[in-house]
Amino acid sequence: MISTTSEKETVASQAAEAVQEGTAGSLSDAADIYYLTKDNAEFSKTAGSMLSVTVGDQTHPVVYVHCSFPHTNKRMYLSVRTVENKEIGMIRSLEDFSEEIAQLLEEQLQIRYFTPEIKRVIAVKEEFGYSYWETETTAGLCRFTVRNGGGNAKLVTPNRLLVTDVDGNRFVIPDMNRLTDKEYRMVEICM
Amino acid sequence: MNLNFLLAEQDRLAAVQAVGTEIEYCVPANLSLLGYRTAGYLVVGKDKWAYIENGKAKEIGVIADSWEYKVIPLIGNVVLETEDGQGKRVLVRSTMEHAARFGYVAQALNDKAANRKIRIFNNEEEASCAKCGGRLVAGARVCPRCMSKAEAFKKLLVVSKAHWKLLTAGLIAMVAASVIALAGPYFQEILINGALEPPAGQSPSMTLFYIAIAALVGGLVIGELLAIVRARVMANVSSNIAADLRKMVYEKAQSLSLGFMTSQRAGDIMNRVTGDTDRIRQLIQELCTTAIYQLILLVAASVLLFSADWRLAFVVLLPAPIVAYMNMYIWKHVLWKLFHKQWRIYDRANSFLHDVLSGIRVVKAFGKEGREIKRFRTYNSEFAAATIKSETLFNVLAPITNYLIQLGQYFVLLIGCNMILDNQMNVGELIKFSMYASMVFGPIAWMMFMPRWVANALISIDRVFSVIEEQPEVLEAQQAVQHRIRGEIEFRGVYFGYKSYEPVLKGVSFTIREGEMIGLVGHSGSGKSTLINLASRFYDVNEGEILIDGVNIREIQQEDMRSQIGVVLQETFLFTGTILDNIRYSKPDATNEEVIRAARIANAHSFIMNLPDGYDTLLEENGNNISGGERQRLAIARAILNDPPLLILDEATSALDIETEGVIQEALQRVMKGRTTIAIAHRLSTLRNADRLVVLEKGKVAEVGSHAELVEKRGIYYKLITAQRQMSKKEQKEELAI
Repeated sequence: MISTTSEKETVASQAAEAVQEGTAGSLSDAADIYYLTKDNAEFSKTAGSMLSVTVGDQTHPVVYVHCSFPHTNKRMYLSVRTVENKEIGMIRSLEDFSEEIAQLLEEQLQIRYFTPEIKRVIAVKEEFGYSYWETETTAGLCRFTVRNGGGNAKLVTPNRLLVTDVDGNRFVIPDMNRLTDKEYRMVEICM
Repeated sequence: MNLNFLLAEQDRLAAVQAVGTEIEYCVPANLSLLGYRTAGYLVVGKDKWAYIENGKAKEIGVIADSWEYKVIPLIGNVVLETEDGQGKRVLVRSTMEHAARFGYVAQALNDKAANRKIRIFNNEEEASCAKCGGRLVAGARVCPRCMSKAEAFKKLLVVSKAHWKLLTAGLIAMVAASVIALAGPYFQEILINGALEPPAGQSPSMTLFYIAIAALVGGLVIGELLAIVRARVMANVSSNIAADLRKMVYEKAQSLSLGFMTSQRAGDIMNRVTGDTDRIRQLIQELCTTAIYQLILLVAASVLLFSADWRLAFVVLLPAPIVAYMNMYIWKHVLWKLFHKQWRIYDRANSFLHDVLSGIRVVKAFGKEGREIKRFRTYNSEFAAATIKSETLFNVLAPITNYLIQLGQYFVLLIGCNMILDNQMNVGELIKFSMYASMVFGPIAWMMFMPRWVANALISIDRVFSVIEEQPEVLEAQQAVQHRIRGEIEFRGVYFGYKSYEPVLKGVSFTIREGEMIGLVGHSGSGKSTLINLASRFYDVNEGEILIDGVNIREIQQEDMRSQIGVVLQETFLFTGTILDNIRYSKPDATNEEVIRAARIANAHSFIMNLPDGYDTLLEENGNNISGGERQRLAIARAILNDPPLLILDEATSALDIETEGVIQEALQRVMKGRTTIAIAHRLSTLRNADRLVVLEKGKVAEVGSHAELVEKRGIYYKLITAQRQMSKKEQKEELAI
């Protein structure tokens, strides 16, 4: 098991130690994160376009890759999980793997997190508590309806707007500052 | 829900070639694995499936070759997975729009693969407009684009019919008021031309002067009186119509099935009872007072203007719509947006304040006061900046728009004065003319805003009527009978799911004997509460039947049946009112003695007697002023007051501590004697007195028998009970160690 302690964790563990006098165990020991690396895990794509992983002598035929920070850092701290939501292990960074494996894992992320980026806002019309959007996205031209309020259009970071439509489809404006004035005004009304 | 989309000719040919002539299901699978939107479809035939895209069958498979077809919801998309000899695989991928459709299709594929009868009961409503396919506003059935305005108004007219007398009176008052308003300038002209500034050659007439003054004053008084009459009558009519609508919605909501009520969030229904009906009231009031009045004024004043002098009339009327439109544009696109932004910042600051103040203990515990002050400062200055910006602009724009609206009048004065100098017009005429001109602007500016609120009111009308016209899912049989329940309940091959593609109960069959106590046991999600909902007929089964004393539950009058069932749920709901009223809820004509008897049986009497106000104690909202155990005992008293032959206990004691549970269990034991009882409990020890236990596992009856029989069987029940015992032993040990 590998357990390196990041700077943050050290500070946190020191604080914990200060509180619980004499309990020596650090937080990273308590968290017990199992990191998958290119040395201990072997990923492959199955015939059915799914991801499988072999860790040690155990093969998991179907696993899913979840992001810890899908909006702020998609390539770091990925969790490899089974369909029963059991964690096989974590990947600290995609950089730790060969380009080929990193690409395979990224492909899986693309499948799990389908969030087209809005490249151009053509029109946003607001009516009766719903807004009707027409946009050009990385997945093509998209028209969708968003229910007002309830956090359906929210800033997940100061500049990144996540829009969820009435069906549950997600769209993202990666940088609000890159919108033109006209686009910004249309989008702003729905926030 | 549409599960069989029509394919374009080329796609259809490819599909027929791939799966055979009979296409049973066809749903869009509009997303490639690489993340591009496609025009693909998943087509299911008699025993083959195929993925069709652009007139080609890109993949074909035999349904029976795979198993476990399953929809996996991912983030912002879904995939349909299946398993075959080589392992799991992704069949197709789609956006969330079609997720529910894939739920149905997966269920159908599973049934086909296992060679079972297909059990999907496709009764979910399509959330898109039947006419244009556009997205629907929640609760409405037609989208704003397709809604026939005439149709909506017609519905409203039918409801308004009952108040036609008052309505007519209001309309008459309104017409009279507008006639008087229009007569004003005419008398002004007489006043000026007859007395103050008579045309050359005429002497001033004091008679005319007095007549004109009297008419002006009289007109003013009568006009004001009529305005009062009009407002009173219309407020009366519109409130009455809205009250009628509220009553209709409320009564309908009461009679609709639990299925409808839970699918529509309670808040939404409340909104329709209050918000939407109020919007309709505003519409009627606005329509019958302002709108028609403004319209009469506009038309009459325009006619009078043109008849007085058509050239001047053009000068006044031509710029009017342009100016009014500019006014609206500035409001809608500049000021409204600015104010909107200001409100939003205000909202954000407000919720931040609420957040921090209610979490002040946490803030202090972590010593983050400084950080929070800094954050509040940012919000505060943001709000101040937004307010300054919008107020400044408003204060600049409002006078300008007002000035623009008045501009036509100055032109009239300019041209009019020239005409007077040329002797084409006299002063009286000019004054009359400019007064009529000023009457035109108000209605025009007002009408610019009309479409928006009429449209909003139309949506309200549709939402209100969509409840009123809703058909209850659980229908009363035509010849429903009253049946005195003895207590035998039989489930016969019951299939049921809240969404039929996710069956919760699958082929449940067992009989509860008269007077028997049955304990329902199983993991959460195994269908225990659903079984109870079906026994109370809050929902109708999809397949199979439920018999009470041999009579099909569908043939018994619903109200009569439910009055004979006593229900105690985990979450007790008590109404605002006295304890007496609450216990008496199940039998409003019960005597005080009966109430006390029920309370004694439920072990509630002692604590009630200890309260200063006894049975007259006023309970706050949901009984928040008494403890959970006390609330539960009141609920039991309420359930048994009516002496119901059938008792349903859904986790009645699980939220209570062990000691209170003991008290209530003892009360329940007394109540259950000789009564058919169905009880659900997480703590299995609660069910030790049950005559038989029914163990549900994934919607099927897995085991039936007494506690001893099931323990001996060493099946699911045994596992559950040993797990719970070990847990409590561990807890006991830990407690002892402390």
